[in-house]
Amino acid sequence: MTLAEKMLRLDRRVIFLLIGVCTLIPLLYPVGLAIKVSPEVRGVYDYIESLPEGSVFLLSLDFDPASKPELYPQAVALLRHAFRKNLRVIGMTLWVSGTGMADQVVTQTARDMGKVNGKDYVFLGWSPGVSSLIITMGQDLYKAFPSDYYGNATKDLAVLQGVQTLRDVNYVVSLAAGTAGIETWYVFGKDKYRFELGGGCTGVIAPGLYPLLRSGQINGLIGGLRGAAEYEVLIDKKGRAVAGMDAQSVTHFTIIGLVILCNVFYLSLRRQRTERPS
Amino acid sequence: MKRPSTSSRFWLAGVLLLLQPAPSFADPLPPPQHVQAFDAPNDAGGAIVLVWSPAPYDSPGVKYEIRVSNGSADITSGGKVLAQFAADTHYTKDAKLPWWTRPAKATDHYYVVKSGKGMELKNGDAYAFVVAAVRGEERSEAPAVRAVPGPNWINWNQLNNFFVVLIFGAVVVGSIQQAKRKEIFLRRIPGLDAVDEAIGRATELGKPILYLTGAGDMSEPSTLAAAVILGRVSKRVALYETDLMVPHRDPIVMAVCQEITKQGYLEAGKPDAFKEDSNFFITTDQFSYTAAVDGLMLRKQPAANFFMGSYFAEALLLTETGASTGAIQIAGTDSDHQLPFFVTTCDYTLIGEELYAASAYLSREPVQVGTLRGQDIGKAIVLGVILVGSLLASAGVLFGTDWPSVVLDLFKDLK
Amino acid sequence: MIFLRRQLPLLITFVTGIIFIAQYYVPHPASEELLTTVNKWLQIIGGFALVLGVTSLFHQHAVKIRRREPGWGYSFVLYAGMVGTIVVGLAVNGKESMDGGMTAFGWIYSYTMVPLQGTMFALLAFFIASAAYRSFRARSREAAVLLVAAIIVMMGRVPLGEYLVPVTGDITQWVLNVLNASVRRAILIGISLGAVALSLKIIFGIERSYLGGGRE
Repeated sequence: MTLAEKMLRLDRRVIFLLIGVCTLIPLLYPVGLAIKVSPEVRGVYDYIESLPEGSVFLLSLDFDPASKPELYPQAVALLRHAFRKNLRVIGMTLWVSGTGMADQVVTQTARDMGKVNGKDYVFLGWSPGVSSLIITMGQDLYKAFPSDYYGNATKDLAVLQGVQTLRDVNYVVSLAAGTAGIETWYVFGKDKYRFELGGGCTGVIAPGLYPLLRSGQINGLIGGLRGAAEYEVLIDKKGRAVAGMDAQSVTHFTIIGLVILCNVFYLSLRRQRTERPS
Repeated sequence: MKRPSTSSRFWLAGVLLLLQPAPSFADPLPPPQHVQAFDAPNDAGGAIVLVWSPAPYDSPGVKYEIRVSNGSADITSGGKVLAQFAADTHYTKDAKLPWWTRPAKATDHYYVVKSGKGMELKNGDAYAFVVAAVRGEERSEAPAVRAVPGPNWINWNQLNNFFVVLIFGAVVVGSIQQAKRKEIFLRRIPGLDAVDEAIGRATELGKPILYLTGAGDMSEPSTLAAAVILGRVSKRVALYETDLMVPHRDPIVMAVCQEITKQGYLEAGKPDAFKEDSNFFITTDQFSYTAAVDGLMLRKQPAANFFMGSYFAEALLLTETGASTGAIQIAGTDSDHQLPFFVTTCDYTLIGEELYAASAYLSREPVQVGTLRGQDIGKAIVLGVILVGSLLASAGVLFGTDWPSVVLDLFKDLK
Repeated sequence: MIFLRRQLPLLITFVTGIIFIAQYYVPHPASEELLTTVNKWLQIIGGFALVLGVTSLFHQHAVKIRRREPGWGYSFVLYAGMVGTIVVGLAVNGKESMDGGMTAFGWIYSYTMVPLQGTMFALLAFFIASAAYRSFRARSREAAVLLVAAIIVMMGRVPLGEYLVPVTGDITQWVLNVLNASVRRAILIGISLGAVALSLKIIFGIERSYLGGGRE
């Protein structure tokens, strides 16, 4: 077997080990390269930045623990921005398996920013229905969520004063790992109740949401860990996403290197086979 | 000191007079004309439309002010100021309305009063509106108009959508009739041709076949298509008496696929070979299901893996594990974000509507094939509309005219 | 019996299909109420169907234990995990935290479910690398173009790539916003038309294989 043939049949465990090392080392020894902000992430940032104090911001954390590495940093960055702007924050989720994690991110970030539950923010939790839940929220928020995640009556909360339906919400951002997510919020929410909608999603589904961005159905899109890192740069509070970008950079280049290598071996093998007399 | 003469006094007075600001000789501001208020059409209620004629004084220097009060109250002196905007804004042509539902001329002023943000319009209650023109301190009000908001039963804005559905349906019916009269050519779909090959290979090796129906429930077209293909696969599997494993994420899909598999064995004349537990439920959770199926693949070593339906992040985990066992893999999905992973790891991939076409392709029934042809004609029409629409929209922008919108509105999704 | 197994489901499908086609064009609140009510019915049916699924799961593993099939010990692990989580969850009413402290259910969620799900998702990074190494080969001209585009986008999406070759960032933006968006739209149009045709076939009873049962 020639070297090219051996390399083309390389045991995948060697590749796994290489990827593991290339992910670990930059996390332990970060470099901190500059991150350029894209217009789609800036779209979300600029809109939140333009909201006056006291505006109502709804963040729907539509993901489960599997997507935590990509979407949790997005949630933290958005919440920090919203709390810094003194917006009234409503947290919720359409994914039942993400409820605990959604509660954790909202509560922890609010605590770090010195915000009070019930006065500055509320976490509504999860309620069954997805599309019918959004429709019910559009008709009467208190019917959809008579109490928040901790059992407090939502009608009595100061943070929800003057908020009767989704029409009274100034901005909704859905951080989505799949279905139900951004498209659900658009079809059953924005299309009917005319609030402004932004999105955040995992890197793999981001390209599929560009048509919504281009047509103006969403006004911004935070895609994957890279999008979260860009947002952290914008709010000037670097966190896990920026820290992860070095690892992502090295991993990407490792994959590029592997792909180029395999093509070099493949083309050399093909040439050998053409030159070798049959 | 010398005193000024009389003539120079007159001259001085004239100069002083000229230096005074000129008195205003402008016409008094007329009120807005032909103001009408009526229930906003094509909605669920809670909105009222105000229209009035354009005026010669429409300019940034003049404002329109809208006041509202509950219908029983006297609005002549009271009411709440709802909006104030420059007089050269808010025209009917600016509203996103198709030409067949425009309630006024394109050049008329148009304002929709909606419920929300401090203003609630209750269906069935009357409301009074006053539209006033304001120029500096000057104010001129039109007579009050009244309207009652209410819900509507038909959304005429979507008439174009309805006609498109009817036309598409007619095209499909016409294609079915055509398919009944003569044979229609269907291009080869390698993935579907390979189904028999995959089943044959599994039979030769004496290994089972793994069939997945995806992450969706029965309301998704891709899951329905996967269930249809399962019917054909189970019939073949029954003939060859190969083992079939169909793990499920949704209990309803499991129940439906159980019936379909049973029917496949019945049609093959092998009802006794059917195993009740060939279709089994694992869990609804994405990665728990993936871990279970990966374990199944590594333990049972199926010779053929079918991935049909909609998939998310678990796609690559499933197919890569399957590839490591050396199985032949055929995938079919409408989840475009997972297509790259399927294409790189599977031997054959059905992309998007090739999955929906499976039923027609495998059965070759005229009705099914006709529907497929109708779909293709629909796609050709869409292509034509995109081309013509792009040219018209470009013409509209280049020549600064509005007439292309008469055609373009026909294809807009308007609510 | 034939009526119950064939005609009645087809009739229900037809009537419901027509009603919900019409529902789309009716803005009246009654129409929206109908949609939310039916969605609630679906959730209730789904809840009952879960009983069916769990029964199937228990039965399958009971058979495995009874027959002492390879790996039957893990079936006990499954029983313990499922029953334990259900009991603990019911005891604390499904809450992961109470009065500022973590409940047992929250402990199971945070220390088993979260890391396990994260681990599974993390495997993707390794699998992508091995799949890319195995299949990203320039077998043809089209494959070569795809390869070059993939390399440019992979570089453009990370800070190191933009630092080394700044233009990759702009090219990546253009590829995503122009090429990718237009191709996605095209695929979406095709899929949507296919879905509409399939739905019409099912509503009008042309496609009946989902019912099971014999041909008429």
